[in-house]
Amino acid sequence: MKLTRQYFNIKDVLWGDTTSLSDGVLTLCREDMKAEVTTLFKAVEDVDFEIVKPGENTRIIHLLDTLQPMYKVRGNGMQYSGFFGSPITVGEGVTNLLTGITVMESAALPWEESSASSGLLYPRDAIMDMAGPIADFTPFKDTLNLVILYKLAENKSSIEYDNDIRLIAIKISTYIASLTKELVPDESICYTIDEINPELPNVVLVWQCQNQGPYANTFLYGQSIDNLVPTLLHPNELLDGCVVSGNYVWPAFKVPTYLHANHPIVMELYKNHGKTLNFRGIIFCRSHNPSTWHKERCANFNVKLARYLNAKGIIMAWEGGGNAAVDGMLTIQCAEKNGIKASTITFEFGGIDGTEGILLVDDVPEADAIISGGSIEKHYKLPEVVRVVGGDVLRLNKESGGYFPPSDKAIEFENTTHLYLAGNQTGHSRLFAEAY
Amino acid sequence: MAVLKAVHYINQFYAGLGGEAMADIGLHILEEKKGPAIGLEKLWNGEMEVVKIIVCGDNFINNDDNFLNIIPDIKEIINQEKPDVFIAGPAFNAGRYGVACAKLCDYVRKELGIPSVTAMWHENPAVDMYVKDNYIVSTSETAVGMTKSLPMLAKLSLKLAKKESVGPSRFEGYLRTGHRYNEYHEKTGAERVVDLLLNKLNNKPYKTEIPLRGFETVTPASKATALKDATIALVTTGGLVPMGNPDKIKQAFAVTYGKYDIEGVDSLNKGIYESIHGGYDTTFATNDPHRLIPLDEMRMLEKEGLIGGIYKYFFSTCGVGTNIESSKDMGRRIAADLKNAGVSAAILTST
Repeated sequence: MKLTRQYFNIKDVLWGDTTSLSDGVLTLCREDMKAEVTTLFKAVEDVDFEIVKPGENTRIIHLLDTLQPMYKVRGNGMQYSGFFGSPITVGEGVTNLLTGITVMESAALPWEESSASSGLLYPRDAIMDMAGPIADFTPFKDTLNLVILYKLAENKSSIEYDNDIRLIAIKISTYIASLTKELVPDESICYTIDEINPELPNVVLVWQCQNQGPYANTFLYGQSIDNLVPTLLHPNELLDGCVVSGNYVWPAFKVPTYLHANHPIVMELYKNHGKTLNFRGIIFCRSHNPSTWHKERCANFNVKLARYLNAKGIIMAWEGGGNAAVDGMLTIQCAEKNGIKASTITFEFGGIDGTEGILLVDDVPEADAIISGGSIEKHYKLPEVVRVVGGDVLRLNKESGGYFPPSDKAIEFENTTHLYLAGNQTGHSRLFAEAY
Repeated sequence: MAVLKAVHYINQFYAGLGGEAMADIGLHILEEKKGPAIGLEKLWNGEMEVVKIIVCGDNFINNDDNFLNIIPDIKEIINQEKPDVFIAGPAFNAGRYGVACAKLCDYVRKELGIPSVTAMWHENPAVDMYVKDNYIVSTSETAVGMTKSLPMLAKLSLKLAKKESVGPSRFEGYLRTGHRYNEYHEKTGAERVVDLLLNKLNNKPYKTEIPLRGFETVTPASKATALKDATIALVTTGGLVPMGNPDKIKQAFAVTYGKYDIEGVDSLNKGIYESIHGGYDTTFATNDPHRLIPLDEMRMLEKEGLIGGIYKYFFSTCGVGTNIESSKDMGRRIAADLKNAGVSAAILTST
């Protein structure tokens, strides 16, 4: 399987009366973009757009998902296969990508009972700053960000809001990426793992994604992964967008679609392929398996697939918190018992100075190679900002009746759970807990 | 610049006074350089010298009374010499020597305000006892590795003497103290997780960034007998609270629990209680709170006389992302409350 990614570097984005891309400058017309998505307006009444640029003193809030704009120009299926059309297997041919720019979704999803207010199933406010002390938590402080602001219709279900928001964002990202159709890319890279070096060890990534129902979900070829038993993906399928996020519950731990499609560990394994290891693929599974029986089946299936691939090593990575850690640790244990070596990456606890309580919710003695994604139990003070995109107030602490401070003012957090991508479980950032 | 001053502690063996046979000797002060001090001074290149060497036998100093008795002498030496740093060891894998080194460092640092450092093998029993608050440089298991172990000790002791800020464990060579702070690594998490696996696969040394602490084993309580005389308590970590969560129990990472009166109540009805747990879909639990606290069934058993009674309060917290120390604390307090009230058994439902 060979996939050529043609990269088009976007240097700047401007508003204009027409939509065009030339010399790396993207000119966007609000009306054009809206016209692309009005047929999708059901649970969404209207959309607006904002552009946020690197270096700006700007905060983005109510952040749901971030997408990689891409457009498939050759090969089976289409970008983000399964949402608009059949779930044709992707990962071959040619796909055009805009680099240096993302598409973001921002909406204050209702907290009311009718929509979603049960326990976990409420959207927690995700916050990112383009500058200041938390800017390095996300890779998006360095990108131009086209933020879609959604005006939601009243009295729709969580599933309806979730669906329409996502479809609109995929459509917008496709639309702007399609402007590259006739253009010459800045860079072109062919991704393939067809050739292997028998001298090198086979390695697979086990990528375990959150699934707990609406707002805490992941989609594979357009469908929720509710009943998924571990399956095998070619890394190119992921690169073409076969996995899409629908996860809004814990901003620190959720993995945006952008990081599924540019999974930092996948990219790193690709870099090492043929040099230090043979990258043999991705075992894709759900986390938050509902019972020990399901968790054990999942771990055993993961390892069974790894053995079929003659893997000598796995990298175990997961999205989500404690429940997902239990799933991940069981897979590590099962792998090591079957002679497959494992490493993993996770956020940690440990309190303000690292010495309070334990560092991990769960561990197994076999998990002896763990990379720290940083501690979530650290205090951060976000400074006042000049501009906020997404809304005038933050929505916090729903369980204690709600707290709605102004979104542009300085605010202190006791832990990082509201701070976008602070958990660093795809290894995108350099954040970690340094041991003294 | 004046030459910096160090006071060095060693045992009878490194002082050249003898081996195990001399382990009971008391406090000695050496004016001439002995043992590791010679090697350390070479490494300091004239920037620091050892002004006093304190020696005790390993058996002597490990006796608590003896230790207390020599403390005034130690204090006097330190006050006289006013060293820039206090150094002990290296103790390698010698248990008694290690404990003496670490205990003295801990005292001199904490009580006399002098920066202190010792050195030993990471499995020396003193490490667990003192590493949290003291710099313990990592050494080889035995004194065969003395020349390899001294440079790190020399470097860190000089740094402490100069009052320079001490960097992370992986750069300075001391054993991890358990203190951990968010910083930015030179490499991304993705790069490191692949590197770590490759080292493992290629049988090269590798080190986990997050050490495992393991879980202690909890012995299950013995089986409840004589049920017809027993008062049973109902406890849940499923987050059941009166509507509105009056005690503001946290939905996740909880540090408190609630205690709710159910005396004379036959069932926990929808609309009066709700689950606020942050880790699962609480729709079903809120629709029928008995899924968490099975009061209705328990009242039937009570009426039938199968159990003596139901404790008049139920306890509830949210078990999600909960710190183990907080869990232990809540558990102990709930158990003490139940014991006081003469409760003989409890049903704890988790979610």
